[in-house]
Amino acid sequence: MRRWLAITTVSVAAAALLTACSAGGSDNNAESGEKVTLTYGVWSQEDTMQQVVDAFEKENPNIDVQLQVNPFTDYWTKLQVSAQGGTAPDAFWMLGDRFQLYAANNQLLPLDDAISDAGVDLGVYPKALVDLFTYDGAHYGLPKDFDTIGLWYNKSLFDAAGVAYPTADWTWADVQAAAPKLTDPANGTFGIAAPLNRQEGYYNTIAQAGGHVIEDGMSGYSDPKTQAGLQYWVDFQKNGSSPNLQQLADTEAVAQFENGKVAMYYGGSFYAQRFYDNPDLRSKIDVTVLPAGETRATVINGIQNVGFANSKHPEELKKFLLFLGGKEAAEIQAATGAVIPAYENTQQAWVDSMPEFNLQAFLDEVPDGVLYPVSANTAVWNEYEDDLLTPAWDGSVSVEQAADDLATKMDEALAKE
Amino acid sequence: MLVVAAAAMVFPFLWQLLTALKTVAESRAVPPVFFPSDLTVDAFARFFDSVPVVGMVGVSAAALVIRVGGQLLICSLAAYGFARMTFPGRNVLFGLFLIMLMAPSQLFLIAQFDLMKSLGLLDTIPAIALPGIFSAFGTFLLRQAFMSVPKEFEEAARLDGANAFQIFWRVMLPMVGPTLAALTVLTALYSWNDLLWPLIITSSKENMTLPVGLATLQGQYGTDYPTLMAGSLLASLPLIAVFIALQRQFFAGIASSGLKG
Amino acid sequence: MSAVTSRRGATRRPALLRISNALTGLAFVAPALVGLLALYIVPLISTFVTSFTKTGPFGGSTFVGADNYLSLFLDAEFWTALRNSLIFTAIVLLGVPIAIVLAALINSVKRFRTTYRVLFFLPVVTLPVAVGMVWRYIYNGDFGVINQALAAFGIDGPSWVADPDVAIYAVAIVGIWSSLGTNIIILGAGIQAISQDLFEASSLDGAGSIRQFFAITLPLLSPSVFLVSVLSVISSLQMFDLIYVMIGRGSPAEQGSQTVVYLFFQKAFVEYDRGYGAAIAIVLLVIIMAVTALQFRLQRKWVFYG
Repeated sequence: MRRWLAITTVSVAAAALLTACSAGGSDNNAESGEKVTLTYGVWSQEDTMQQVVDAFEKENPNIDVQLQVNPFTDYWTKLQVSAQGGTAPDAFWMLGDRFQLYAANNQLLPLDDAISDAGVDLGVYPKALVDLFTYDGAHYGLPKDFDTIGLWYNKSLFDAAGVAYPTADWTWADVQAAAPKLTDPANGTFGIAAPLNRQEGYYNTIAQAGGHVIEDGMSGYSDPKTQAGLQYWVDFQKNGSSPNLQQLADTEAVAQFENGKVAMYYGGSFYAQRFYDNPDLRSKIDVTVLPAGETRATVINGIQNVGFANSKHPEELKKFLLFLGGKEAAEIQAATGAVIPAYENTQQAWVDSMPEFNLQAFLDEVPDGVLYPVSANTAVWNEYEDDLLTPAWDGSVSVEQAADDLATKMDEALAKE
Repeated sequence: MLVVAAAAMVFPFLWQLLTALKTVAESRAVPPVFFPSDLTVDAFARFFDSVPVVGMVGVSAAALVIRVGGQLLICSLAAYGFARMTFPGRNVLFGLFLIMLMAPSQLFLIAQFDLMKSLGLLDTIPAIALPGIFSAFGTFLLRQAFMSVPKEFEEAARLDGANAFQIFWRVMLPMVGPTLAALTVLTALYSWNDLLWPLIITSSKENMTLPVGLATLQGQYGTDYPTLMAGSLLASLPLIAVFIALQRQFFAGIASSGLKG
Repeated sequence: MSAVTSRRGATRRPALLRISNALTGLAFVAPALVGLLALYIVPLISTFVTSFTKTGPFGGSTFVGADNYLSLFLDAEFWTALRNSLIFTAIVLLGVPIAIVLAALINSVKRFRTTYRVLFFLPVVTLPVAVGMVWRYIYNGDFGVINQALAAFGIDGPSWVADPDVAIYAVAIVGIWSSLGTNIIILGAGIQAISQDLFEASSLDGAGSIRQFFAITLPLLSPSVFLVSVLSVISSLQMFDLIYVMIGRGSPAEQGSQTVVYLFFQKAFVEYDRGYGAAIAIVLLVIIMAVTALQFRLQRKWVFYG
């Protein structure tokens, strides 16, 4: 009813103004032999993805793929608006924290039939990634790439403080011992950056402490082990071996590390190329696996290629999605060094592209990869994490109290999903 | 005082220029480097390499012309009606205009998208311009301008036998010339810099506006600030040119319009 | 026929004239009205309806009565956001007198007038990303320009945009700075519309420029001042961008500095709770309407139409 009112009002109004400039009708006829056009929405890596698209078009001359690049900050707003209007891109990038929302609301094309028909072996991808994008037992896409977290360190600052470089054998205790030694207030340098960061920060240490963020639809923040994973960071704040939260908001952790202000930085594999491209930085830094707590763990996250449920060309779309998840697409992406492709045994090219860095560390961690914690509406409790953990980081509330409050509010939100 | 204030105004612009001349690493330096150690125009070259600049300027300009032209016409008609005509429901209708001004624009995203879709206008240049044509702001601004024009001018024209439209077109519109020029500058500005709506309503590269192109340059990880600043600097030049051209109109136009006497 | 009508309708003429005048008036506003209805009023009504529902992220909704409004009024986050929007608006309004003085000063200088106008226009043409970058640098707690200057006097300044206690004020200063250009354009056009004869006559009477400013410029400029004030209040209550580019997600100051529209955007487009988002938007709209209505009421006391 409302829609009709809108349509009628405007057609009267705008007919005169607009008939002249209406869109040149798009031809969606998918009769056999006719050329079909698919759209593919992404937020970066334009050149690389164009190469992948070109390779697909070469194999499928009757399918034309149009790449649509949108800035990350507005990507999700646009996707939401166009999906509810029925005009989302046919294929698009998806992240774990939004995936369940789209899957649960029937916005994504189920791929299980296509996967079994084509005989795709899901074992070629890291298990945590496949699980992250499974909803109610159904698969909606194939992993494109992944990232893990490593301990980046500044060799010059270690040398200056006379501390031995981190190794793959390091544990929490080693970091805790080294951080104060590497802190030099006179110079304005700190041992470590302890920001309030999920993917690169406390999600890793929570898992290393044997805790969990979410399990079976319940918050894990009241678990003392989870709280130990938070305490790890708060201790660095407390003893002054990290810039405080306000300093980290003024100048983000990665920029502090790039500029030699912090000696150790828990950072993603996705920063490798950015660091490598900085000639002053390249020789000064290296990376190793995350130090072990009770156990070894790293958050593993990545982009998944998914299809829009209301696509007009589901068959062509499935073909395209399988290609995107295949070995050829992975090899093209590995060669450019932009990301670590998710397909097994295609990652070496990425490691080799930056020989000065020990990038093998990011791959060695994959078996310890833990699922990035998500639920049907992750954004709601992510907001609670930011709000309620901030006072723990700045010391005005104990970790235990902040985390208990967070658990209560998060459970309330989860109950509403 | 004017000089101090002007310096504060120019600082960000200067910063943009200096950043555009830095290397990427230097642009991220902590503490920030004010003057680049060696000047490089690489950022400008990268800007032209990475986005279809000429096409974007064309789209932005076309959307601007449709929006400014449509708004000046439609809003000045309405503004004159509200300022000088009496008709039933005038205050209620003007109230509706004000309400539209008061609602945050993000509120209309989904409904306007659906409307453009039912009109078959998704991913077209008119769709970029259309919502901005019906501007409560423009109507309000011009209504204030019409209200401050002395009534004698209309009465004189009416005695000469002019009809309502002729009075509006030949007598009243020239009177508010300075406000029209000011509105042109402001609308051009909003149109040129608008990001969220054009981004949502267009999807193909051919219909990308300048701000959308610039925003697209900001990758997922890290940001190439020099290129971004080079691009935004170049993007604002046409606006400054429009402003210089029109400021003479709206600051000086009055003297010759007869209002003085 | 017209002859007949006019002869017979000697008494009815005023009525006919009134009808014809009314039709002419409607004809003038009709094109704008149609666009207004389709693009804004209908969406607004649908938002109003949505605010009484629990809405799925991609459509589909169930009626929940006033639930969204009830939880809104119990939501501490909303009251903080409202307080921030009001603080921001109050501070930005202080920019209006500054703009009046600057517009008058620019008008009075003989040389470089165009240069000054262009300079004051620059912040308006600068892209939000650039505005955010520059001001974050100026406000940086460790090495920003402000704190470096304060350090010279032995004062240890805060992290202006990361400290929850000061961030909203710091952002409001930028609000003044970025609205100056637009206000100067509108007010400048208003000042130019004032007849030069008035100034010349008062000069002959021996009035100085300060006296002229208060006796002539200010009263005659009052319609423009009113316009600028109304627009400043509305756009300040709708403030979103500056918080987004200067404070941003995850900052320790985010929670304490978010404005009502920021909260709306968070709920509707990040947390996908459109019903609740719609309720926020409707409440904000009612608040803006009330404030604007108040301004219109007060204008009778101080606005002078020539």
